[in-house]
Amino acid sequence: MKQFYDFKIEKIKNLSSKDKNLRKKNLEVFNKNGFPNKKDEDWKFTDLNKILSQNFKNIVNKDFSLKNKKLELIKEFEHNYISLLNGKLISSNFSYEEKNKISLENYNYNNKIIFDKKNSLNFLNDALATGGFSLEISKNYKLNKPLVIYNHFSNSLKETIVNYKNLIILNENSKLNLINYVNESIQENFMVNTIENIKIKKNSSLSNIFINNSKCNGYFYKYIQSNLEKNSNFENYLFSSGLKFNKIDIVVNFNEEHSKSSIFSALNLNNNEHQEIKTRINHNSPHCQSFQKIKDVLSDESKGVYQGKIFVKNNAQKTDAYQLSRALILDGNAEFDAKPELEIYADDVKCSHGSTSGSIDLNSIHYLKTRGIPEKEAYKMLINGFLIETLEKLAEGKLKNFLIKKLERQINGY
Amino acid sequence: MLHIKNLEATIDKKHILKGLNLSIKPGEVHAIMGPNGSGKSTLANVLSGKTGYETKGQIQYNGESLNDLSTEERAQKGIFLAFQYPLEIPGVNTNIFLRTSLNSVLKAKGEKELDTLTFLKLIKEKAAELGIDEKFLSRQLNVGFSGGEKKKNEILQMKLLQPKLSILDETDSGLDIDALRIVADGVNSYKNTENAFLIITHYQRLLDYIKPDYVHVLSNGKIVKTGSADLGMQLEKTGYKNLI
Ligand SMILES: Nc1ncnc2c1ncn2[C@@H]1O[C@H](COP(=O)(O)OP(=O)(O)OP(=O)(O)O)[C@@H](O)[C@H]1O
Ligand SMILES: [Mg+2]
Repeated sequence: MKQFYDFKIEKIKNLSSKDKNLRKKNLEVFNKNGFPNKKDEDWKFTDLNKILSQNFKNIVNKDFSLKNKKLELIKEFEHNYISLLNGKLISSNFSYEEKNKISLENYNYNNKIIFDKKNSLNFLNDALATGGFSLEISKNYKLNKPLVIYNHFSNSLKETIVNYKNLIILNENSKLNLINYVNESIQENFMVNTIENIKIKKNSSLSNIFINNSKCNGYFYKYIQSNLEKNSNFENYLFSSGLKFNKIDIVVNFNEEHSKSSIFSALNLNNNEHQEIKTRINHNSPHCQSFQKIKDVLSDESKGVYQGKIFVKNNAQKTDAYQLSRALILDGNAEFDAKPELEIYADDVKCSHGSTSGSIDLNSIHYLKTRGIPEKEAYKMLINGFLIETLEKLAEGKLKNFLIKKLERQINGY
Repeated sequence: MLHIKNLEATIDKKHILKGLNLSIKPGEVHAIMGPNGSGKSTLANVLSGKTGYETKGQIQYNGESLNDLSTEERAQKGIFLAFQYPLEIPGVNTNIFLRTSLNSVLKAKGEKELDTLTFLKLIKEKAAELGIDEKFLSRQLNVGFSGGEKKKNEILQMKLLQPKLSILDETDSGLDIDALRIVADGVNSYKNTENAFLIITHYQRLLDYIKPDYVHVLSNGKIVKTGSADLGMQLEKTGYKNLI
């Protein structure tokens, strides 16, 4: 296979010689392994190397100059925001909050984070990452309004990879609703490789929502590592339809007792879009609950993948873990692959998992049609009904209505 | 209004309707009775335009051949089927479904679609007439509804869409005595000289409330006997033995 990428540490400005050397080493590891393929258990269903080689001629890294891009703010609900351009922090606004309770800075690359996983994309990130942010919420502070992260990308990203890292810390007894929002319709192919480190301290709660508003030809990989202290809560909502390629790789570590995490996903994919969700829930402590519900609707030649692993350590008694994936396949050429895995070393646990995939129920379509509803509309109603269920647990309000609208947009067309 | 001539229907190699004839005029109420498996629901399905059947023969509806019309077009032109087993549709809100349905029909007729508020007022009224608790309307369509509640919901849809030809497939089965009366009242109050009913039932009970102009016996894919309302009462006593 022809080499289709060319990454250079030299393109990153202002590095200390120590940092440069470290980055070079990481790049060497990446170059040795290349992009992941199916031999890697974590990429069992996807030959990323092949996909990229077919869609890119020569991917490079660049040093981006910071330009302000005009912000188009969401009007449907009041919110704070952070705006990122190609992963770099360009502006923020916390007008609904007490300023001294929130700290937001550029990510500090001098603080090395140790990850419990190293895949070649992580190495690539370690080699090339610049930009990103560190966000820290003070003890006992619950944000009044949600925080939207506007992820912007410039039009000049053709054949370019963007790498960055974020750090999010919720100190004791704090609360944050995060919305990761992509609203780009870039036609050129580009890549985004992110590592996010999340720390949720005692009695704190983070909800992390991913929502896309348009179609774009970006190839995204995001690795999220989260560490949960006692009595904390971590919710994830993944509504990232519209991206050409997307893989979200989430690790949840229950390090102390009585915490909860949930992952809900609703994806409507068409053309040759490809989305993957990979989760690893580490029940390292007793009395924790994890919940996962993944729903995909696939048409044309699209592909959905779910790899979900629940690990229960021998001392993690009274673990309650639930995992379900369901796919609706509308087209013979579409594909859904699921690999649910349980690895349990404790005996007093409740774990259940299931996976189904099937086609749309034609009797239901007929029923709707007998009420005068055109066939196309009937399909949309059923697809919407199938996906919208993932929003059930979210509190009623403007944010939920916004998400329902966006999900409908993803289903009905842009 | 409806003329069926020599209708045959086959599905999955099973020949079910075997030359059925039936004519219905505006303002008439027709009842169809007949043994289990004789093809009553199949007739209703074929009239609704359900796919999967191989059919022969003719069905004329208001001068148009039904074969050329899709299910939704039939509905938009006034054919309504109350299902023997209404489907549960998870994730679809009953109110939204009802409004989409009504507006699709209005749109096809070239009439003005209803905005949310006007619709909610209308549906509240109709639901109250049938003794349906409003709470049902904000639930998922038929999901977890009891058998009788599902049947009432079918009649609610009928009253909302105001069809010309209503086909009720065993709408009475599973209804308690009070619900049966409410449903029958619903039909009677909607009945006029313009519209017609085809009522499939196993029991004379319903026909005590909704007086049919004709009673037909469907057996083995054909109408084997047609009579007046008295035929229903007679069948209740003698069963189908002597007819088949
Ligand atoms: N898809 C199918 N494939 C094979 N046989 C079928 C199919 N659908 C219906 N049948 C058969 O056709 C016959 C007629 O079915 P239908 O549902 O029309 O009966 P019915 O008169 O409505 O009966 P009931 O009074 O029990 O409701 C039955 O024997 C049924 O098993
Ligand atoms: Mg039947």
